[in-house]
Amino acid sequence: MTQQPSEKGKVSRRDFLKLLAAAGTVMSFTPFIDWGKFMPNPIGGNLQRAPVILPDGSQANAKTFPVNSSQAIRYPETGDRVLDEEPFRRWQFIRLPPEYGGDKQDSSAFRAYSMVCLHLWCLWKYWPEEGRKRGECPCHGSMYDPRTGKAFAGPASLQSPPSNVLPRLDLEADQNGNLFIVPPLFSANANGIVGYGRLVKGLNV
Amino acid sequence: MGTTLQEDNGLTKFFKWLWNGLERTMFLGLKFTFPSRFVSPMGFLGMLTFITFIILGITGALLMFYYEPILDRAWDSVERINDVIPYGFHMRNIHYHASNAMVFLALAHMYYQYFSGRYKIRNEVLWVTGVILGTVTILEAFTGYDILYNERAELAISIAASLTNSIPVLGPDIRETVFGAGFADFVLRFYALHVFILPIVMLGLMAVHFPRFLVFDVPMVMAISGAIFVTGGVFPVELGFKFEPASPPGVTVPEWYLTGLYAYLRSQYDKFVTGVLWPGLFIGSLALIPFIDRYKKFSWKDRPLVTAIGITSLAQIIVTTYWGFYIDPDISKSLTERLVIDPILLYVVMLLLVPLSFGFTYMLIKLARHAEMMNKMEAAKRKASGETRKSISLPENWTWILIVVLLIFQVYLNLSAYYAATAGFRNVELFLVGLVLVTFAGIFHIYRYANQQAKIPKPASPKPPAATKEVVVKPVMQPAAAAEVAQKPVPQTRVVNPSASLPGSTGPATGSMDSQTMADSRHLKK
Repeated sequence: MTQQPSEKGKVSRRDFLKLLAAAGTVMSFTPFIDWGKFMPNPIGGNLQRAPVILPDGSQANAKTFPVNSSQAIRYPETGDRVLDEEPFRRWQFIRLPPEYGGDKQDSSAFRAYSMVCLHLWCLWKYWPEEGRKRGECPCHGSMYDPRTGKAFAGPASLQSPPSNVLPRLDLEADQNGNLFIVPPLFSANANGIVGYGRLVKGLNV
Repeated sequence: MGTTLQEDNGLTKFFKWLWNGLERTMFLGLKFTFPSRFVSPMGFLGMLTFITFIILGITGALLMFYYEPILDRAWDSVERINDVIPYGFHMRNIHYHASNAMVFLALAHMYYQYFSGRYKIRNEVLWVTGVILGTVTILEAFTGYDILYNERAELAISIAASLTNSIPVLGPDIRETVFGAGFADFVLRFYALHVFILPIVMLGLMAVHFPRFLVFDVPMVMAISGAIFVTGGVFPVELGFKFEPASPPGVTVPEWYLTGLYAYLRSQYDKFVTGVLWPGLFIGSLALIPFIDRYKKFSWKDRPLVTAIGITSLAQIIVTTYWGFYIDPDISKSLTERLVIDPILLYVVMLLLVPLSFGFTYMLIKLARHAEMMNKMEAAKRKASGETRKSISLPENWTWILIVVLLIFQVYLNLSAYYAATAGFRNVELFLVGLVLVTFAGIFHIYRYANQQAKIPKPASPKPPAATKEVVVKPVMQPAAAAEVAQKPVPQTRVVNPSASLPGSTGPATGSMDSQTMADSRHLKK
């Protein structure tokens, strides 16, 4: 049979075979796509219930931790000196001021938010001074509400959800007032993703 | 001493063999020119950029012996280099200032090529690779100051990572793939990028970017290296404060080549648009300009629109670079107020700069045309009155006085540098070594200038060479004579390259290096 010139909209047999060969060549390299996993190096680790350890080494206690103050804590801790320096593992542990319910003796007086600012990933911190009482980022002045973790001023507040609410850790206290971190789920709909944000209904808007 | 080697000994035979062997390498494909007289450095800014790249390679390789790319040790190791390691301070300062010099020279090189229209005449590939090379150069400098891991570096790293994260759809995956999971990875990967991946990319691009004709002006190279040393001595680079995750940093701004971008980021507008899209558009339009520029002529005066666009971009770069640096010093205001640049004001200013720059360009071209006309009229007048064109040149005895003064100064500087070294003055020493290099450049230049003046036969100067107008090396003398001029200031060349002093030889196989290059330089005439 002689080859027919391809009509409009029809693929000739030769072109079809060429396409087939090209597709086969491409397909033969597909197993290598998985090798891309070499690059990302995800933060794994087992996320377990852990005590809130303050920088001085003691466990945070609802009865003793001063009202309207904050500390930087680590979670999840690895025991590796270098990895524990990681800003992505840094959380701002805040006891709210009295007017926001900070004098309650249970875990509801406390908050723990990722210190990585949602704007450009500088590290913000809580400022307890009268008239401030908010989280402030030193880089571009994003401000966070300590009650919810929502950015209310600065560039982070202008970002679309979920990138305007800080990821948080849930806390609980035992009978003695010792505070613990509840195992989190790092997804946008749960505890949020560090550096990306958290989706909260009615809060993100 | 001036003796020429009459017969070959083993050493000269070896060098000749080596020289002939080089014919098979790429080096003889490149036309190296060692100009025997002053050529405007504007034409070989690219070569100077490459020289700083070499300086960076050497100092950077030495710094690698002590730097530790580990999150909690990076800053400490840099501190150790700076304060403890002998000459570590010098290495670091030279490396830092050379990096700034390289970015600056690359930008200057680009704008010179832009305004002189050299990206045309089938140089488009050179231009586009040059734009990419410039971008990679800035990335290289950027990754370099990031791995110090001081407060400023942390700001820069986090901005780089979060900007990558902000790319729609693929952003988070690209960020994880390129930068890894967290700051511990960021430091290590920025280091890998800085010392290996980006330099390799740069070398690859350079292989494409190198033009066939290279000008290697020894005094100019000396002067640039000296200037880097001097700035290293006068403005020793700071160590900054170590970044502590528990105590967030104070207000910091990035390096000068990124403050322009930073000004846009500070306008609070969407970070993908301001931080990725705008610079991307800028670089993209730069790369495309040779395909947009349809003017038949090269001079900036004959391409008003392209020149105006170039002036606009320069004006915007200068304004935003300053704006990015500026932070309201009034501490009583809130941080947001001090830091945030009103986007409406910023963009209005950027738009206003367009008509202003166009007007400025119009004025410049008018003035240049006027000056050109006046020159022509004067030349015609002179021709009518029978005068030949006068050129300003230094009287011979003054040249000799200057060179003796410079030589004495050089000896003095060498001695002071030696004493400063023994006394352990760090900044002063670097400063003096820089001065030594600059002075050497000056001596070299005046010597060759004087030599050239002496060689020119007085009446027979039909056309005084237009030295600085074009970067074309026009040999005024016979190649062999010119070679001798080029030879004299560096007596070492005779030892290294004994065949150089063989007179009258031709061709790359047996000819002297300098006469060869001088002969080649005639090819530069288009």
